[in-house]
Amino acid sequence: MQRVGDAVKDLGFEPAKVEQLKTAVSEAAMNAIEHGNDFRSELPVLVEVRASDSVLSVCITDQGGGAAIPESETPDLEAKLEGAQSPRGWGLFLIEHMVDKMNIMRDQAHHTVELILYRGGDNHGNHPI
Amino acid sequence: MAIIPFEARVRQENGIAVIDLNGEINSAADDALNAAYDQAADLSSRAVLLNFKGVDYINSSGIALIVGLMAQARKSGRRLMATGLSDHYKQIFQITRLADFMTLLPDEVSARDQVKIQA
Repeated sequence: MQRVGDAVKDLGFEPAKVEQLKTAVSEAAMNAIEHGNDFRSELPVLVEVRASDSVLSVCITDQGGGAAIPESETPDLEAKLEGAQSPRGWGLFLIEHMVDKMNIMRDQAHHTVELILYRGGDNHGNHPI
Repeated sequence: MAIIPFEARVRQENGIAVIDLNGEINSAADDALNAAYDQAADLSSRAVLLNFKGVDYINSSGIALIVGLMAQARKSGRRLMATGLSDHYKQIFQITRLADFMTLLPDEVSARDQVKIQA
């Protein structure tokens, strides 16, 4: 995640936004390693960073195509505090709340999680065309 | 970037058990964190303060461990507080609503004052 942070440091994002992106990249990469690649060290996780004038895109791709990544649900903290649910389950929720948009794509052999930050605008999806 | 191994040290200050956390809080911190909490619970039946000043990384597994501590504290009627979080992790505690159930404080003195008020 530090390398992604270094790659985007001159793109004009506030430091807090870069920290949020690094958290999202870290979580997506962990999911790719654990769920996509089954912790198999010989399988790579590809991280690609692309930037245009209006959009920063970071794609994290694993080698675990086939099964769909489940949709993110808001964790029920009260149920977890009561012991009615596992305390786990925060990864996708964190990713979604750290970036402007998250896209999930898959084919037969890969999952890709795309993290989007809009450059300029108000970070609520309203950005200059 | 070097990975800083997790450490937790427990001390008692003014009736509050303080757990000083250092390093990265991820799944590997499970045993040490829970052992520290058990030790802290033995020291104080009223309140435990998690000091995050030495923590530079918390991932979703770390969040789950902290939620586990919150559940233990709730079950035993013990107050769990936190101090020393960076702005980034304060935001994460707010987004995840952990901050709704655990008091975030600027320093240990505030924690002592909070416990006095409640007594």
